[in-house]
Amino acid sequence: MAPPASRDMGDSKYLDVTAVGKAFKGAPVMSGMDFRVGRGELVSLLGPSGCGKTTLLRIIAGLTTADSGEVLLDGRAITSTPAHKRNISVVFQSYALFPHLTVAENVAFGLRARGHAKSDCGPKVVEALALVRMSDFAERKVAALSGGQQQRVAVARALIVDPVLLLLDEPFSALDRKLRETMQVELKTLLRDRNMTAIFVTHDQDEAMGVSDRIAVMNAGQIEQFATPSELYSRPASAFVMDFVGLSTRLSGEVIDCSENRSTVRSAYGTIHAPGTFATGARVTIGVRPELVQTRPAENTLNVTLADAMVLGSKTQLHGRAETGDRLLCEVPGMNSDYAPGDTVTFGWDVADTLVYEAGT
Amino acid sequence: MTGRAERIGLLALPGLSFLAVIYALPLFMLLLKSVQIDGQFSIAEYIAFFSDSYNLSVLWRTLRVALLTTGLALIIAYPTAIIMARAKGFWLSVFLVAMVLPMSVGVVVKAFAWTILFRTRGVLNDTLMSLGITDAPIRMLFTETALIIGAANVFLPFMVLPIYAVLRQMDSRLPEAAASLGATPVFRFMNVTLPLSLPGVVAGCAFTFSLAISMYVIPSLIVGERQQTLSMLTARSFLYLRNEALGATISSILLLIAISVVLASSWAANRLGARQ
Repeated sequence: MAPPASRDMGDSKYLDVTAVGKAFKGAPVMSGMDFRVGRGELVSLLGPSGCGKTTLLRIIAGLTTADSGEVLLDGRAITSTPAHKRNISVVFQSYALFPHLTVAENVAFGLRARGHAKSDCGPKVVEALALVRMSDFAERKVAALSGGQQQRVAVARALIVDPVLLLLDEPFSALDRKLRETMQVELKTLLRDRNMTAIFVTHDQDEAMGVSDRIAVMNAGQIEQFATPSELYSRPASAFVMDFVGLSTRLSGEVIDCSENRSTVRSAYGTIHAPGTFATGARVTIGVRPELVQTRPAENTLNVTLADAMVLGSKTQLHGRAETGDRLLCEVPGMNSDYAPGDTVTFGWDVADTLVYEAGT
Repeated sequence: MTGRAERIGLLALPGLSFLAVIYALPLFMLLLKSVQIDGQFSIAEYIAFFSDSYNLSVLWRTLRVALLTTGLALIIAYPTAIIMARAKGFWLSVFLVAMVLPMSVGVVVKAFAWTILFRTRGVLNDTLMSLGITDAPIRMLFTETALIIGAANVFLPFMVLPIYAVLRQMDSRLPEAAASLGATPVFRFMNVTLPLSLPGVVAGCAFTFSLAISMYVIPSLIVGERQQTLSMLTARSFLYLRNEALGATISSILLLIAISVVLASSWAANRLGARQ
């Protein structure tokens, strides 16, 4: 699916983070971080906790000072601009609504901070509250709101000032699953309609896949891969990305033969053919997405003893018995109760669908 | 559930009975003494107290000193509380010890230490004169200024700690959210930090004012008999004048002021709390 023409995919460097480094008490969180976002793009920073994604977000917002490197926004260096002069709004995980102010006063805060008189804020506040369908709650205390309502207020408060960039730190993590999915669709539509450039920080891959044009997968202060959700899923750049984004069969093995861009790998479950050239004897990690594995022989075929068969509604997951660190996974569409733990099943898939990474990457 | 909660309530019984016998009962008897003359109800003692201009000047001085002490303590305490709320680990311990440790030094010791500082040939005057700021020593001991400075010093922890506790609880994301919405540091302070810290300020002021209005040892040592406060007048009535009715009357007035301050402050704290 091609993105709309109005959004460039990072070529124009609307936000340009170059060689940014940060250490806390001598322990480096990130170094040489490069990160570029185009105007109107919705981008996610996805990674496990402690990977540096929130630090990067805070550096962009101006809430944390980078030790080195530069941040440019629309061509202007903002590295040393204080947060209150950047016009970058942040929606926090806890929403950080002002508890002593009403919903309307919270939303009006940004305008008041910019020197607008209280009386001038009225129409814009009404408009912003209507945007997030919170008009009936204008005079409520924020403590009296539910999580979803608080999030809507936080979004209205962030958007009323027409920010040049919107940053959202785990904005959905405090919501229960059903509400989270509704809010994701709602927020994405809202941001699209306003052509807002936004960066989401999240550790939830479904959320990142759902809301973003592109996802930067972070690990240990590095961006492992920055690509569209479909690219990330079908061609993960590393075993880490493969593991972090979506489920997969994952096996370790050793290359025993290599010819014409095709490697033969010996694993604990049988011989597997994989695309790519590796040195004989190299340790590799093999991966396959579960929906690409079928229960009949194909170019790669393994005989697997089932550990579990989980009927999940729209699909049925077959888990094979595997050694520690390995995983054998096959998904067949629909509800299928033909399988039982202990059955021997054939897992088959094509060489072209096989992902292979040198071990340790 | 209710039964259990009620039985747990019994645990408060020893404390309540202790307070009733040792605190409430004698205080009630004292109060009674102030409105009785020869076993008859009378407010004559109060009328007599308020029609004496000397008493009124003492009352006014007591209120003035307590107010100024509270104000001075607040000015010094607020920035300290902000720094403490942001401090972590070692530095937080340093601040907390610095706040609590002086409380273990008796007021008498402190007051004599100040006389070294404040007296005519004291450290402060020597410094001022050697810097050429004044030619002759300034009289500092036995003045109201010295009293206010000393009292603010003693009561400082009672102002710092409640403000610190409130600021510590405040979500540190709130000022950050304000900053990202374009609020300057001053606007952030005036519209986020200050209003959210008001319950602590109210509590600190109530503590400090209550302590300052009823202080006895500090004014006795710093200003002496020349400038009386209500507490000193009370002691004088009981100890020297042997006028128990007058002493009881002044005590009751003091108590009334203290109770009003506590009630007003808890009302204010509730109002502020309700807004949040």
